[in-house]
Amino acid sequence: MSKLHRQGGAAHVFLIPWWLGLVLVTAVPLIASLYLAFTDYNILSSPKFNGLENFERMFQDDYFWAAVRVTAVYVVVSIPLQLGFALLLALILDRGLRGLAFYRSAFYLPSLLGTSVAVAILWRQIFGDNGLVDRALSIFGLELGSWLQNPSLSLSTLIVLNVWTFGSPMVIFLAGLRQIPEELYEAVKVDGAGIVRQFTAVTIPLLTPIIFFNLILQTIGAFQTFTQAHVVSGGTGGPANSTLFYTLYIYQQGFTNFDMGYASALAWVLMAAIGLVTAVHFVLSRYWVFYGDD
Amino acid sequence: MSGLDRRGFLKLAAAGALGAGLTACGAGDSGGGDGTTLRYAWWGNNVRQQNYTKALKEFAAKNPGIQVEPEFADYTAFQERMTTQMAARDVADIFWVASAQVMTYHKSNIYRRLDEVPSVDLADYSKEELESFKLGGQLNTMPFGIFVPVFRYNETFAEEDGVKLPPADADWDAWSEFLIDYSKDNPKQRKGMPYEADADMVFEAWLRQRGELLWSEDGNPGFTADSVRAWFDWWDKMQKAGAVLTLSEQEGMGPDWALVGKKVLAKVGNSNHIIDDAKMFPDYSFKLRSVPAAKDAQAGHPFLYYPRMAIYQGIDDDKLEAAGKLISYNTNDPAMIKTVGLTMGAPVNPKVFEQTLAAAQGDDKESLDAVQVSRKAERRPRFEAPPGTSTWRTAMARVAEEISLGRLSTADGAKRLLDEISAGIARAK
Repeated sequence: MSKLHRQGGAAHVFLIPWWLGLVLVTAVPLIASLYLAFTDYNILSSPKFNGLENFERMFQDDYFWAAVRVTAVYVVVSIPLQLGFALLLALILDRGLRGLAFYRSAFYLPSLLGTSVAVAILWRQIFGDNGLVDRALSIFGLELGSWLQNPSLSLSTLIVLNVWTFGSPMVIFLAGLRQIPEELYEAVKVDGAGIVRQFTAVTIPLLTPIIFFNLILQTIGAFQTFTQAHVVSGGTGGPANSTLFYTLYIYQQGFTNFDMGYASALAWVLMAAIGLVTAVHFVLSRYWVFYGDD
Repeated sequence: MSGLDRRGFLKLAAAGALGAGLTACGAGDSGGGDGTTLRYAWWGNNVRQQNYTKALKEFAAKNPGIQVEPEFADYTAFQERMTTQMAARDVADIFWVASAQVMTYHKSNIYRRLDEVPSVDLADYSKEELESFKLGGQLNTMPFGIFVPVFRYNETFAEEDGVKLPPADADWDAWSEFLIDYSKDNPKQRKGMPYEADADMVFEAWLRQRGELLWSEDGNPGFTADSVRAWFDWWDKMQKAGAVLTLSEQEGMGPDWALVGKKVLAKVGNSNHIIDDAKMFPDYSFKLRSVPAAKDAQAGHPFLYYPRMAIYQGIDDDKLEAAGKLISYNTNDPAMIKTVGLTMGAPVNPKVFEQTLAAAQGDDKESLDAVQVSRKAERRPRFEAPPGTSTWRTAMARVAEEISLGRLSTADGAKRLLDEISAGIARAK
C-alpha cells in the first residue's frame, strides 16, 4: 500500500465526524422534512400522508401571505441599504485612515452582535415607547410613541438593525478593494478621470465579483431572519403581523401549533424561493459581474 | 517530531468512543443505584423557579431514596420543550400541563392514570371534586391549584386619587363608565386599565354570564360570534374613550406588569397573579374584586380553573410509587404551600385550603377569598380546550391587536376568531 494511499485512509478517518454530522444532522432531517411536507403531522402521533394539502393550504392562508410580504420587503429594502452602507464605509477605510485596525474591528462588532438576543432587546429600549428615539423626536415635537408597536414603522426598525450589521460585508469589500491594482487608477487619472469616474470605471467593475458574493450571502441570510423578529415582537410577529417573518411563521406552526407537516411544507417553499432567487442572481450576474478574464 | 501514527490514532479513537459510550450509559442510569430519581418539569419566573427547587429539595430530604431532577423553563419555552420531548419519547416523569394543551396531550395518551397509583393520596377529596378533575372519565391529571378571574385594583392609587370604586355588584358597564371617568380626571394622568381584550379567563367569565361556554363538552367553541363581538365592543369603547393604555404605551399585547403597574388603576387577570405582581410594587396595596356580573348573568356562571400536573405514561413502573408521593406532596402537603406560596393559586386540597385560608393575610388572603367566593357558588361544568386549539390565545391576541389598531371591526374580529379556532379544531380531527 503506498504512503499516499495510507494517508488518504487516515484522512477518511478524520473526516468521519464531519460525515456523521452531514448525514445525521443535515441529510436525514432534510429528507425527513421533505416527506413530512406531504403529511399531516402533529409531532404527538404518526404522520399521515395528505398529498399536496399543505401546499394548497398556503394559498388560502392569510398569515402565509403576510409572512411572504414582510420577508420580501425586508430582503428587497435592507440588502441594498446594507451593502451600500458597507461599501461606503469600506471605501472610507481604504483611504489609509489612521487606526484602521481599530475602526475595522469596531465596525465589525455589530455583525457579531447583530443577530443576538441582547441586541434585539436593546432595540426594544431604543425604539420602544419613551425609548431613545421617541425621546429624541419629542424634542422636535414629534410624538410617534413606540416604533415597535406601530405597524407602519416596526419593520423599518428591523431593517435598520440589519443595515447596522454591515461589518461582515464591509470587511469583504475592504479585502476586495485592496486587490484592485493601483496602476489602473493611475492609468485612468492620466486619461483625466476624476474621483467619480475612477469609482464607476475602475472600482465598481473590478469589485463586482465581491458585490455579487456579498449579495448572495446577505440575501440568503435575510430570507432566514428569525432571532431579531422573535425577540422584538415577543414571538408574535406583531403588531398586526408587520414583523411576521417567514421563518418566524414556520417556527410558530411547528413548535406552537404542533403542525410540523405544514411547517415542513413552508420550509421547503422557503428553500425553493431562496434557490430560485439565487439562480436568478446567477443568471443576471452574466450581465454585470466582471471577472477580469471575460 | 514523534507524531501519532495511523495505528495509534485508531487506538485513541476507539478508546475515546468506548469512553463516550460508558459515559452515556452512566448518564442514563437515573433509576438505579442509590434510589429513584424523578424528573420534574414546570414553568414560571425566577422566583417560582427558586421556590419550587427549594420545595423539591425538601421533598427529597423527607423521602430518603428519592431524588428529584428539576427541569424548569419559561412558559413558552416549556411548551416547546415538551413538544420536542414528546416527539423523542423523553418526557419528564412529572410535568405541569399548559392549559391549552390539556386535551391535546390527553388525545396523545401521554398521561398515566392516577387512580391506579396507590401513593397518590386522594382521601381528602369528595367524589364530586374527583369527578370534576377527570378528563374523558379518567383521573389522569391532578390539579395542584385553583384560580379564578378577577379585577385587581391598586388601593393606594384609589386613595391617592380620591376615587370610590363601583359597588361589589356593579356590572360591566358600570365598571367601564367608572374607568372612563377616572382616566379623564385623575391628577397623575393614569389610565383605568391596560388593554387586555385577550385576557382568556375574564373572557370565559363574560361568556358564561351570557349562558355560553368557552369550550363545549363535544370539543367545539361553546360561544357565538355575537358574544365575542360584545366583548371586543366593551374594550373598544374604553379604548376610544382613553380609559385603557394604548398598545404603544404598554409595548404590545400581553403587557409586562413591571412596565404598566404604575400607569393604571386596575387590571383584569387571574386571582393568583396578585402574589407575584404585588411584590414588584411593595409600596402599593392591591385588592381583588370578583369580575363584574352582567345584570342578567346566567346561574352557575362562576368557575374554577385548575392548573394540572401529570405523570408521564412512559414512566418506569419502579418509579411510579415515588412519583405518586411527589404528586401528593404537591397537592396535599401544607409544607409545599409554605415553601412555594400561592403563586399557582389556592390549594386544591379542601383541608389544606381551609388551613391556609385561616392563617392567610394580605395578598394571600385576597387571592384565597376570591377563590372562596367561586368555590361556594353554584357552578356549571367547565370543559378543557380541545385538541387543535393550542394557539387560540395567540389568535385572540392578534384579533384584539388589530381591533385596537383600527384595522379590524369588532364584528369582523369576532368572526375571524371563531373561524380560526374552528379551523384548528377541524384540522386536529
